[in-house]
Amino acid sequence: MENLEIEGSHKNFFIPSVNFNAKTGICEITGESFLEDTVEFYRHLVDWLDNYIEDVKGPMALIIKLSYFNTSTSRSILDILNLLKDYEDDGGEVVVNWHFDENDVDMEEDIDDYIIDTGLDINKIPY
Amino acid sequence: MHYRKDINLLDFHRSLDKNTPLSYKGPIDDQILQAFGTYIEGLLKESPKASRKVFKIFVELAQNISYYSAEKSILLNNKEIGTGMVLINELADCYMFMTGNLVQNDDIVSIIEKSEIINSLDREELREYKRQQRKLPPGKRGGAHIGLIQVALTSANPLDIEVNPVDDDHSFFSIAVKIDK
Repeated sequence: MENLEIEGSHKNFFIPSVNFNAKTGICEITGESFLEDTVEFYRHLVDWLDNYIEDVKGPMALIIKLSYFNTSTSRSILDILNLLKDYEDDGGEVVVNWHFDENDVDMEEDIDDYIIDTGLDINKIPY
Repeated sequence: MHYRKDINLLDFHRSLDKNTPLSYKGPIDDQILQAFGTYIEGLLKESPKASRKVFKIFVELAQNISYYSAEKSILLNNKEIGTGMVLINELADCYMFMTGNLVQNDDIVSIIEKSEIINSLDREELREYKRQQRKLPPGKRGGAHIGLIQVALTSANPLDIEVNPVDDDHSFFSIAVKIDK
């Protein structure tokens, strides 16, 4: 299975950097997310994760370090977290580490809302 | 010669005092979003906390105009883009961010209802409402139904909403959001 790599950019829209590794199961989303077509962008990520869960069945570590994302991105992140929660419920090994600016209380609240929403044990890591 | 009849630029200029660093009416396309976004980041770089909040609120409200305004402009690439107004006003203790645009009268009731719900909830209830709405299937533009809720959460102040009828089919919808410094 191929890795998924997307180089981030901060131009007309903010594209996050994506680094999903099929060998290690380490999946990173970093930067900022405000996209022209959010659903289309995150569909690739969800498809990759679906394939990993079906074919590789290995451990997964999702690492999120987004300093900013808009509300349509927030919905796509929920889809990804729900997918991981289902995998965990089916016996998969899942770790989620979410890095956030310690001064950004709104971001911390967002992470708490995802914990409530998904039932996933998300590690909050301030920087 | 006087060509101008109904528009007085001097009155317009006076109505925007010197504490209005941004005022705009026109289509809100990708380039405008980007240019204003960068401008806002630069404008408020002295207060990073307020800057982050104003930027987040700007993105949600400007995108709402771009997608949903009933007034459209056709750009050179034949794209149809929503048109509206964006304004930032700086006061002693806060920033005021305002947008205005035309809305179909058929859509007004649901917008007002949603705004009233948002203003009636405390922060915890608002977060609960956001989680509830985010679970619904996405809107036709990939929206998450939570733009206004997020704006209220980010500003941490009630939304100031006004709706004025314009003609049989349209109303002018405007929203003012206060961001504490």
